[in-house]
Amino acid sequence: MKKLITGNEAIAYGALRAGVKAVTGYPGTPSTGCLSSLLAMDLVDTHVEWSVNEKVALEVATGVAWSGHRALCTMKMSGLNVAYDTLISVAYSGCDGGLVVYVADDPGASAGMCEQDSRSFAVMADMPMLEPATVAETYELTKFAFELSERIKGPVFLRLVTGIADSYAEVEIEEPVLVSQAAPLLIKDIQRYTKAGAVIATNQHRDLIQRLEQAGQITDEAKINKLSLSRKPGGLGILASGIAAAYLEEGFEAAAPFGFNREDVSTLEIKVVHPFPAAEARKMLAHCQTILILEELEPLIERGMYVEAQRMGYRGKITGKLDGVFSRIGEYGVPQVVQGIESVLRLGIPENLLSGNTQALKLAAARPITVCAGCPHRGTYIAIDKAIKKLRLKKNEVMVTGDIGCTILGMNPPFDLIWTEISMGASVSLAQGYVHAGVKTPVIATIGDSTFFHAGIAGLVNAIQHQIDLTLVIMDNRWTAMTGMQVNPGTPCNNGASTYQEIDIARIIPALGIEHFWTVDPFDVEETAGVIHQAMTLPGVKVVLARQECAIQAQRQGKQAGKVHVVEENCNLCKLCLMVTGCSAFSLGANAIEIDPELCYGCGVCIETCHHDALVAEEV
Amino acid sequence: MKYDIFFAGVGGQGILTIGEVLAEVAHYKDIPANFYPSKGMAQRGGFVKAQLRLGRENVGPNIPQRGADMVIAMEQSESLKAIPFIKPGGDFVLYSDIWAPTAVALGKAPYPTFAQITEQVKLAGARLVHIDPGQLPEYAGELVHANLYVLGVIMGQTALGTLIRSEDVEHIIQTRFKRNTEANSFAYRSGLGMPLVVS
Ligand code: SF4
Ligand code: SF4
Repeated sequence: MKKLITGNEAIAYGALRAGVKAVTGYPGTPSTGCLSSLLAMDLVDTHVEWSVNEKVALEVATGVAWSGHRALCTMKMSGLNVAYDTLISVAYSGCDGGLVVYVADDPGASAGMCEQDSRSFAVMADMPMLEPATVAETYELTKFAFELSERIKGPVFLRLVTGIADSYAEVEIEEPVLVSQAAPLLIKDIQRYTKAGAVIATNQHRDLIQRLEQAGQITDEAKINKLSLSRKPGGLGILASGIAAAYLEEGFEAAAPFGFNREDVSTLEIKVVHPFPAAEARKMLAHCQTILILEELEPLIERGMYVEAQRMGYRGKITGKLDGVFSRIGEYGVPQVVQGIESVLRLGIPENLLSGNTQALKLAAARPITVCAGCPHRGTYIAIDKAIKKLRLKKNEVMVTGDIGCTILGMNPPFDLIWTEISMGASVSLAQGYVHAGVKTPVIATIGDSTFFHAGIAGLVNAIQHQIDLTLVIMDNRWTAMTGMQVNPGTPCNNGASTYQEIDIARIIPALGIEHFWTVDPFDVEETAGVIHQAMTLPGVKVVLARQECAIQAQRQGKQAGKVHVVEENCNLCKLCLMVTGCSAFSLGANAIEIDPELCYGCGVCIETCHHDALVAEEV
Repeated sequence: MKYDIFFAGVGGQGILTIGEVLAEVAHYKDIPANFYPSKGMAQRGGFVKAQLRLGRENVGPNIPQRGADMVIAMEQSESLKAIPFIKPGGDFVLYSDIWAPTAVALGKAPYPTFAQITEQVKLAGARLVHIDPGQLPEYAGELVHANLYVLGVIMGQTALGTLIRSEDVEHIIQTRFKRNTEANSFAYRSGLGMPLVVS
């Protein structure tokens, strides 16, 4: 059946076609859609879970694969960093059931974070990595990844970039294969499944290298990479890795009016990004006079090509990033194909052929993202701000470390509170460093609930052990919100249908031996500010749990915190409410501020910002 | 047929839905398509863009600059982000809704005027199809969904209307949104400039 699906969903359907027994992962843009689409299918024979973090997700998946069943583990590039400790060990041990690790990279960093090129991780782990150029190829390569994993008996990477992960295209989907009900293999073999001692570890390393070599042979035989040599030898050869290959045809079309002849060009579309396709690369080198390499981010394929060229005594020219033609930053597209062709063939293609008027961009209004209307974090930020003022300090005197997720929006106006963002859970540990460095003013760390469970909890344990003076504000909105509302261990399972156990942060904190602990409602800004102020004056580790459900998710369930309306006669349009809250439900009317009843959640946070009693809560 | 559309707006306007509907029409009519929405984060009110590429079998998701046959923009300032992508001679459809960022509402930051946008569209050599939010019709006392109205205008007034059939667009709207089917039809047809056929 032909279906219109995303690259993420193509992996999901490919895994189902491979009879996957378990799928685990942690949400992270742009990888999230894969696992969430499987969760939505309510599968009976395949276990699907959002795990507490990527490392745990990979370990769960590994247990399934070591028992002889197929498993898929999904994450974004930052998550791979978290899972990597485990991954190296698993790569050393290999696996029996197919184990596929899906990682999504984000050239151009459209989701924030970084332009990490995870292909280098495949190199470091000696693991094969497959990377499709289109959504349709994603489906095919996913099925192949499971086969490859079982043939080499080792885990296999599948890498997508945002442009494929989030793109919709038509894919021919087959029926899912029945999930194997075979009894789990229970293999007791400490030579494979433990790492104790140099003999075990070096033997595993040897096997790992062999597996990678074997993967190269299998992918060569299966002709996964697409090599097409021109009829006449000599001329230009283009290597395009992953998504870059999807732009070739269009680039050729654009260059054609300038005398570019597609027939004279050889191409190698690379879908096995590791191991380096040496045999095919050598054919290209033997056939072509000049080599052009198109790959986003790091010059990985390009370096491989230089090595083969050296081994062959190649005399031609290699063009890519290392000779300064292309940038290591941002996404590739048709312009790079054309630019590459021009830099090699000098056809006189004008530079502005594919560049538009970017002057217009300078006129656009800045649109810093802020929290949604009714977001509970708004109350918490305003409260932190108030607490700082109560201590007669200024914002630029109080270090507030931030963390990943919606909570980071405290870095933007109107709050301008957060100073830092590193990685999941880093806020609370980083804050300790500032204290050790001798910061005299109170140090605050902020973190979301999912982030707390993911990695923040370890940082908190460290702070307690070493008796650091800091205030941790856990902004518990009950969901993993920024990636599009996934459940985490703290998400209330009150819908009866859920099959998980909720873990209450309010019970974890006292159990860690923290004396100064408060749970507050961030919609009650005064109380929250009072508590944070008090916390900042006390010694040791203090934890404030600001708990209120994400407004978007609450509204989806038909909830409404209240109703706030404007008393027009009282409003003198001083805009103080807007200035303090930055709430998007506000707009300027002719005579008074206006509240969009569709957007307003009735959180009430704005009410006391008004000194003229123009904002009032209605009884609901 | 090869036809590329670049979308720009802010989260919450339903602009991505226009792209989804058109992608589904393509799927329904066996036209090769790649639809790449970029919504950024969960929050409402942030910049969103999308790219729909029709008619190519193997195609990358990104439209090159000067490559879009049509731009559909639903927020005045964000429309500027689409300017580099419009092809000279292309259709630049602007629904000139204004979502002022807080700094603009507070009078602390400038916001581009309609005249500035017009000038940029002209400099890019494109044809401006302007839809004033004030012309949005009401159905049963409520303003219709702007996105479906805009979709109607596009089908009625741009080259896309000659490449795919309006019936197919309407068919997808009807199958996709099970609720408010009459209001949706009304919104779409008002945009198209067709009178509502009361069934
Ligand atoms: S009550 Fe005030 S701050 Fe809260 S959502 Fe409504 S307008 Fe925004
Ligand atoms: S998605 Fe939820 S938690 Fe995130 S900013 Fe919006 S309301 Fe707040």
